[in-house]
Amino acid sequence: MDTPMIQMVDVVKSFGSNTVLKGVNLSVAQGEVVVIIGPSGSGKSTILRCMNYLEQPTSGDVIVDGMNLNRKENINKVRTEVGMVFQRFNLFPHMTVLENIILAPKKVRGISADEAKERAMELLKKVGLADKADAYPEQLSGGQQQRVAIARALAMRPKALLFDEPTSALDPEMVHEVLDVMKKLADEGMTMVVVTHEMGFAKEVATRVLFVDEGKILEEGTPYDVFDAPKNDRTKLFLSKIL
Amino acid sequence: MSFDWLIIWNNIGLLLHGALITIEITILSVGFGFCIGLFVSMANLSHFKPLRILMKCYVEIFRGTPLLVQIFMIYFALPVLIGHRIDPFIAAVAACSINSGAYVSEIFRAGIQSIDKGQMEAGRSLGLSWGQTMRYIIWPQAFKAIIPPLGNEFIAMLKDTSLVSVIGFEELTRTGQLIIARTYGAFEIWSAVSVIYLAMTLSISRFVAYLERRYKI
Repeated sequence: MDTPMIQMVDVVKSFGSNTVLKGVNLSVAQGEVVVIIGPSGSGKSTILRCMNYLEQPTSGDVIVDGMNLNRKENINKVRTEVGMVFQRFNLFPHMTVLENIILAPKKVRGISADEAKERAMELLKKVGLADKADAYPEQLSGGQQQRVAIARALAMRPKALLFDEPTSALDPEMVHEVLDVMKKLADEGMTMVVVTHEMGFAKEVATRVLFVDEGKILEEGTPYDVFDAPKNDRTKLFLSKIL
Repeated sequence: MSFDWLIIWNNIGLLLHGALITIEITILSVGFGFCIGLFVSMANLSHFKPLRILMKCYVEIFRGTPLLVQIFMIYFALPVLIGHRIDPFIAAVAACSINSGAYVSEIFRAGIQSIDKGQMEAGRSLGLSWGQTMRYIIWPQAFKAIIPPLGNEFIAMLKDTSLVSVIGFEELTRTGQLIIARTYGAFEIWSAVSVIYLAMTLSISRFVAYLERRYKI
């Protein structure tokens, strides 16, 4: 079997005396779409944020594309290969859409401005916002901003994308436009780890679903396993509340 | 009594020269203060705790004691310690710079803190280094936020430079005192000095207002 794209081994994360992750082990293969579900405060976002060391685990190993993140020089390298999409978009408000997208390719990859722009326009076309290249983030709707954020992450040509509740801050009518883009990426074979409350998306797109509660992965399997035949009582309870 | 315009007219050159000196100290002090403040605000973000404590002490000491006392310390007390006289100009600029640096560093700190944490995370998640994220993402945004308080600091500094008159340094206020000692025109000269200060501070606040409009704050 190939080396996994993302691997977490016995990851523990504490904030002071509060232990948020209590030994997480997981492995994401290339091309997989892993959806993490669970109640709020369960630690699912923290798992995601440990994957690119936005949170540094208290103990345990995170290995991305064969590089262990406990070595400092690997952290930036991994971040160029693993993109992240945030709940609140986190676009740079002082830059146009185009500038948001070309900044990192230019400064980190050293790509020329022209080449970066050309690539950015392709990506904007892909997320359906080619006409918004010169707009500022505040002039866009939430759904449009999130699509720009996805394009920005894609501009680094990442090997995997992490989504931290990408639709939770959106008005309901804008959720689908973001999910559609994500589905398209999944169809193209992008490796994705998605923390979300969108169970429909999980059922339709996920290759694997993880249920997390109180800092542990309590159940994992295909969407059918987890949604239609859950074994763990806490999974059943959680699903009964949200479905 | 009557207002003797002639006293002002005869000394207008001296007064304007004093005003020029005041502007000079202000620009130098805020300039150095800006550099000190930039360094201190960056050092405050360091993971090295003793450095942060040192910076905190600096800010607290120079914000917590009067500028007048700081001027005395540098001009009168420090020479006793080092056994060497300090030039009034250097003492004036040093005292004002160090004092201004403490305020400016707090302005920077507040400016940087006003930027959402997600901006740093977004930058870092794209593979930008901490320095690159600061330079291209955090600073340009923080800069807009600090223009108004920095303008206030500039105005406050311009007025506070009048304190260096006590060590005999001839800026605008000291120049006024000297002219009065010669002409006894206290009312005329202090009025003129006030008008000149007001003209300078109003110019600065107009300029800051222009910057705010330009950067659409």
